[in-house]
Amino acid sequence: MARVLIADDASFMRQMIREIIEPEGHEVVGEATNGIEAVDLYKELQPDLVTMDIVMPKRSGIDAVKTILADQPTACIVMCSALGQETLVMEALQAGARDFIVKPFKPDSVIATLKKILEKAD
Amino acid sequence: MALDMAKYRRIFLEEATDHLGEISRALLDLEKEMGSVEAIDTIFRMAHSIKSMAASLGYDPVSDLAHRLEDRMEGVRASGRVRHPEELSLLFRGLETLEAMVQAVANEEALVPADAGLLAELAATSGEDGPTLEDDSAAAPAAAVSLEAVGGEPKKVRS
Repeated sequence: MARVLIADDASFMRQMIREIIEPEGHEVVGEATNGIEAVDLYKELQPDLVTMDIVMPKRSGIDAVKTILADQPTACIVMCSALGQETLVMEALQAGARDFIVKPFKPDSVIATLKKILEKAD
Repeated sequence: MALDMAKYRRIFLEEATDHLGEISRALLDLEKEMGSVEAIDTIFRMAHSIKSMAASLGYDPVSDLAHRLEDRMEGVRASGRVRHPEELSLLFRGLETLEAMVQAVANEEALVPADAGLLAELAATSGEDGPTLEDDSAAAPAAAVSLEAVGGEPKKVRS
């Protein structure tokens, strides 16, 4: 099971991800509310996986992904996108994000995506 | 697995109310300074957040209107400013309608889609002195650097 950092400026979305993944045995080790916090908490906590929202204040999720991966190329990051953000999702994947999950979240789909990524990372 | 949607409805009401307050304050800032990057970015992000929360709960009229507002703000961001007073007035009308919808959720009333005229105006071309929404694909590359600097999106494709 994985240690997970959740990065999203909306408490609503952070709680929803937590509620979806904790019953699967994953541990939420931190929550970031903007891109700067995401980068800082990644360095501090060294999670196994990050769920990264794209639209966040101070520093976008895309920028945070690039910064984290520049420092730690093996970082395991999943983008959280909304409908209509296909171009940004592609940019994040090209930057090295492993996959993406789409809002509104479907619990089974989120769990399956994380499982797939974590199995590949092993 | 099933999520406790009653809990998320409560969180939605709290966060949406906060977000609408932020949009209101940002619109007042735009009245004073139509090129306020901070205000433009705030309205974009708040509309985006309301859209995602509402979609998660099946509040489609809220999500649809917030999506239109978000798209409109993307055009404003690409232009770097609200392009004319009528556009600011339109944004205020969008805010007022969103506020009424969130109040309807709080009152457990049936949600009614936003007025078709308002949705059409939000989606329509934006006037003479700035790029239209349809022009965004051309405007986005030039705007990408400044948008990233405020933590925003350089470009978005309409779904």
